[in-house]
Amino acid sequence: MLATSTLDTPYTMPSPADVVVPERAVVLAAQRGSHEAFAELVRRHQRRAYAVTRAIVLSHEDAEDAVQEGFLHAHRALDRFRPDQPFGAWLFRIMANAALDLVRRRKVRDADELPESIALPFRDPAESGELRDRLHAALAQLGDRQRAVIVMHDVEGFTHGEIGRTLGIPEGTARSDLHHARAALRRLLQDLRRVP
Amino acid sequence: MTEERWTSGDGELTAALRALYAAPDGETYWESLEARILARVSRPDDAMMWWTELVDMARPGLAAAAALILAASMLLVHSRQMEDRNAFATVVAPTAVSVEASARSHSVGDGDAAIHFLTPH
Repeated sequence: MLATSTLDTPYTMPSPADVVVPERAVVLAAQRGSHEAFAELVRRHQRRAYAVTRAIVLSHEDAEDAVQEGFLHAHRALDRFRPDQPFGAWLFRIMANAALDLVRRRKVRDADELPESIALPFRDPAESGELRDRLHAALAQLGDRQRAVIVMHDVEGFTHGEIGRTLGIPEGTARSDLHHARAALRRLLQDLRRVP
Repeated sequence: MTEERWTSGDGELTAALRALYAAPDGETYWESLEARILARVSRPDDAMMWWTELVDMARPGLAAAAALILAASMLLVHSRQMEDRNAFATVVAPTAVSVEASARSHSVGDGDAAIHFLTPH
């Protein structure tokens, strides 16, 4: 009876969306030249990749550019990736480097221009968007690495170890950068700190 | 009395940071970004195309340059050999013109002496 009912039940192939292919298999397929496998890696990692690049650059548009550039570099270097390593860590390191390159290029180009956001006139902190503008200006004054560390930690929830691996710095340096970034933000936003 | 707003791990600061750095929401955006990434990966890079073209052009260019250098070297060697041969021929076999000129100078000298003998004054 059980056998009959089992046989009567039509077998349905699991749809690709239902099957989670292990990452290692996807990476190996991408290394063999599968475009679809590489697309799958993009789908799996693009959000986190965006978060990494966004933590380093100053605008959403630059983050998008850096993500595209990062995936391009990763695609070209895919045959050098060892599948026994975590793919995400390798990819995010590439993303961080792409973002840092973009920041350096922007600095050369904008060397003579003072970012408008830094020179914002004082307005009532209660005014809409004031906190956002001031924070943006303060973050722009941090070093690239300090800004990346505080955003990756406080916004994206990366651990100190993950930040260190992604940015290519020791974990202790990431911890120290976070401390200094917070101190700098407190100093830069001092006038907003004290409410009578 | 004052209120410390920006303290380490302050919720408001973190919330403001998250608002500032919020990733775009909605599947459409990520599908669009994925499509742009894959298009970028599939598209040959301009710099790479330029380099590839240069490499393609370099091969026949190098061959032509090598042939040109070889031809110029052969011409130079041939020209030097000709110069050496001419110089040797000039030393070993003096030309008829120089013998004749030498004989003429001697005969002119003798004539002058005869005239001088006949007309001493």
